[in-house]
Amino acid sequence: MRQARTYSGILSGGISGRTGPHLLPLARIKKIMKKSGDDVKMISGEAPIVFSKACELFIEELTQRSWMVTMRGKRRTLNKEDVTSAVIATDIFDFLLNLVSDTGNSVEAAPLEMDISKSS
Amino acid sequence: MQHGNSSNSNRNNNIINDTNNGNTTNCDTVPQPCMVREQDQYMPIANVIRIMRRILPAHAKISDDAKETIQECVSEYISFITGEANERCQREQRKTITAEDVLWAMGKLGFDDYVEPLTVFLSRYRENENERTSLRGEPILKRGIDYGQMMMAPYGPAFHMGHHQGMFDAAATAMGGYFRDASGAAGSSSPASLTKNFDPFGQFK
Repeated sequence: MRQARTYSGILSGGISGRTGPHLLPLARIKKIMKKSGDDVKMISGEAPIVFSKACELFIEELTQRSWMVTMRGKRRTLNKEDVTSAVIATDIFDFLLNLVSDTGNSVEAAPLEMDISKSS
Repeated sequence: MQHGNSSNSNRNNNIINDTNNGNTTNCDTVPQPCMVREQDQYMPIANVIRIMRRILPAHAKISDDAKETIQECVSEYISFITGEANERCQREQRKTITAEDVLWAMGKLGFDDYVEPLTVFLSRYRENENERTSLRGEPILKRGIDYGQMMMAPYGPAFHMGHHQGMFDAAATAMGGYFRDASGAAGSSSPASLTKNFDPFGQFK
């Protein structure tokens, strides 16, 4: 079945030695989508595919913003507090505020002006 | 702060009482957020790290808790967008969340910078699928997935893509050559140029 091939091809392409773009596992994405609400009914086959790329973009953006905080601190290890600072400084990441402050880490960083060539 | 040695955390270990592929939890009687961390609600951490490494310089290190935090953020992102997309479906009394719904939700929730690259990605994916199908001489049929909703309210002019009988809507002019003309010849992309310019599906070739 075509759908199975699409999914299984993606899943088996997970951890190989190859560089280059790999999609995130579609079945896992679909599972997370379904868990987002009790009333999620059907999901088209393409929606997880869009998410696989969107999550790449999201990870890249969050990583880039976090790393800028790391560099500002003249460090080479990106740590959780850097991620927290990046989330605080970025409006569209407001939905993550509860998540990054959940573990009781004191949120000390003041909101920074972060300009990475896009207006946020 | 937790560093280095991942044996300090049990996040990647099997649940102690696991008898069911990591899907059981210790929290059956308590309707509260569980303390047990099930891996199947996150993207695989190796994939997350690989994507992070594309951004970071070679000498950069990433702490374990940063990796896990970003892993959690990704799942939260998916839920966040899906929730908005699902609300739209319900308002419009549709049962299926489509790619267009997801893109619309991203635009609405502030991720409009993602919409254009995702639109390009999706159109190339669809074209790739069509080429693979027609090369085998099979008719392009509905695949048992509910594509019936895909003709709904296209998201922006660039997304006016129908999928009936595999013919792209010729109104998708914003995408340039990403549609077939009547003779069935491919647009400006050939499999070779797809590979050269943008190849998310290398493992398919």
